[in-house]
Amino acid sequence: MSGLDVVLQQVVNGLALGMMYALLALGFTMVYGIIELINFSHFSVFMTGTFVGLTLLNLMGLTAGSLTGMALVGALVALFVLTMTVTGLLGVVIERICLRPVRHVSGTAPMITTIGVAFILINVMLLTWGPQTQRFPQLLPNWRWTLVGTVEITFKQLVLFVVGLILMVVLSHLVQRTTLGKAMRATAQDADAARMMGIDVDRVVVLTFFLGSALAGAGSLFFGLYYGFTAYYIGYTTGLRAFTSAVLGGIGSIPGAVLGGLFIGLTQSLGGQLLGVKWTDVIIFSILIVVMVVRPSGLLGVRVTQKA
Amino acid sequence: MNRRIFVAGIAVLVLATMLGLPGDLGAQDKVVKIGLSLPITGADADGADAILKGAQMAIAEINAKKGAGGYKLEAVVFDSATPAAGQYDPAQAATNYKKFIADSLVMAAVGPVMSGEGKAISPILSEADMATITPSSTNPDITDPKFQSQYRPKGKAVYFRTVTTDAYQGPNMANYLFHTQKVKSVYILDDGGAFGVGIADSFQKRAGELGVKILGRDRLDPKEADYKTILTKIKGVNPDGLYYGGVMQAAAKLATQAHEVMPRVIKAGSDGVYDLSWPKQSGKEAVEGWFCSQASPELVTSQKLEAWVTKFKSEMKRDPTNYAITSYNAVHVIADAVSRTAAANKPLTRANLRDAIQATKLGSIQGPIAFDANGDILTRTVSIYQWREGEIKYVGVAPEK
Repeated sequence: MSGLDVVLQQVVNGLALGMMYALLALGFTMVYGIIELINFSHFSVFMTGTFVGLTLLNLMGLTAGSLTGMALVGALVALFVLTMTVTGLLGVVIERICLRPVRHVSGTAPMITTIGVAFILINVMLLTWGPQTQRFPQLLPNWRWTLVGTVEITFKQLVLFVVGLILMVVLSHLVQRTTLGKAMRATAQDADAARMMGIDVDRVVVLTFFLGSALAGAGSLFFGLYYGFTAYYIGYTTGLRAFTSAVLGGIGSIPGAVLGGLFIGLTQSLGGQLLGVKWTDVIIFSILIVVMVVRPSGLLGVRVTQKA
Repeated sequence: MNRRIFVAGIAVLVLATMLGLPGDLGAQDKVVKIGLSLPITGADADGADAILKGAQMAIAEINAKKGAGGYKLEAVVFDSATPAAGQYDPAQAATNYKKFIADSLVMAAVGPVMSGEGKAISPILSEADMATITPSSTNPDITDPKFQSQYRPKGKAVYFRTVTTDAYQGPNMANYLFHTQKVKSVYILDDGGAFGVGIADSFQKRAGELGVKILGRDRLDPKEADYKTILTKIKGVNPDGLYYGGVMQAAAKLATQAHEVMPRVIKAGSDGVYDLSWPKQSGKEAVEGWFCSQASPELVTSQKLEAWVTKFKSEMKRDPTNYAITSYNAVHVIADAVSRTAAANKPLTRANLRDAIQATKLGSIQGPIAFDANGDILTRTVSIYQWREGEIKYVGVAPEK
């Protein structure tokens, strides 16, 4: 591999990695955009989702290479629908039990509650599955194509990338162009006024949580299928980068989350190439600080919605 | 009235406690406790479990034969892994050893499993004049006189080993890769732990002396999911070999992703990846061909130990590892030292037991055990293994030069 090829390969890797962060940042930033709550439990829901997916795969008896063609597509669709439903419902339960009672409490109480929920989920998964790395069956084929020279893109990277972009467009459309989206934005601006206009605020918030958590579920399946493993701590490490992506892109902004994710992914892979992977976190968080100082609202810092 | 009953109750309790103090009631109640602090949960749980069971089997056998010098052995087991770390946690190990020291019946310890723990607990042991015997931690700094002020401020050796150190484990793997596998260039990774960094350093130094080209050195974050960046970078410099110094948390992902990015590069690790659950964690095809080592002779498959291995399997319900055997022998070293102290009519104190351990000359199932003045075992055999079709196969003794 020539030097240029390696750098280009790192760009491809970085974009795929960035899309992984973006997938996680999307649901997180959407919830923030609607109810202005920094929901740290989002990343634990994502981690839980990988284990939900793993359980379903075991129940369905699927292993690497056991299915091809349409049967594989069908199984994957079923897997995604089921996992996203389970994580969506988990989000609803979290909202109902832990967040609704503190919704009107001002200050950091709701955010701290989400941190508590995050740790509960982490420890429940640790105790049920154990601390060792769990293998995730490699269902997707290992196709790879050469782009230029020796630079390759794998089928998995391509899927990740395409799905990430589609989800971004669909979510933006949902929030900006549908009745539900309008109700969400109205709730975000002023919940009391929205209620007076006949919007069922509780229902809107529940739906927001369902959607956000279902997105986390989709992210968890992509994580498992892409990396081929899961462990109880992935919500913390991957989640921290996804959180950074959302903040960098402008928290609450859906395209911002994707842009932030890609930016972090590229920074991580090119920084690792040029300086060494031991510097990854130093590089990422230095850039975050610089961006925050220069543009406190993030790269695409115009909030989709604003709370009064 | 109530108050009188209360006072009387306290008095009875105090009396009962005094009378109940072990050691005061005659020979049949003489107990020596052995502290075992091991990461029995966490990413390295499988290896730690084997080590724990090796020690437990030795204790059961010795007690069945009337104990050591009239003393019954008793294990005190603490977990040194924490949920937050997901693997061994040096701070937890330190806490565990402080608890051992607070228990006046704990006379010596077996452990720790990891060198990171060893660095944290060795000075604590030195303060208390208590010996520990590690069946698996191999970082040489802990026993190196150069670092005496750091790891044993009181001077005397307290950290004994039934395995040799990375002063041999890392370099001997370098010898093997260079001489036998004809590796001429290598990229080196570590996992940032005390053990991983140390063994990668010693491997790198020896590889450099042999004239193997060091194409780079980097550090993995064990909790990171994506190692494609570093693997792509390594693929770009096209080394003959990849050496990984570290334990399982990073290795589980490294193997899977390295298999994807550079299946044909020769890959080697240390005893940190001699873990029977590795194929389950990373996939059989991903660990295929990986070399790893043990800082001990190969024991599990040796013919002399066939009966022992069968007994272990049937009693402990799992496969033994070499470090289950070094752990089994660590208990025997302590038992032997207790017997000798008792036979010499010396009071059984931690300091006397430490001195007795220092003077050990014991024939054991792993061969003769004796220690140098720093606590290191005199036998310095390093064994090489390779993963083949999901099983770990003994390759041979690593060349010492």
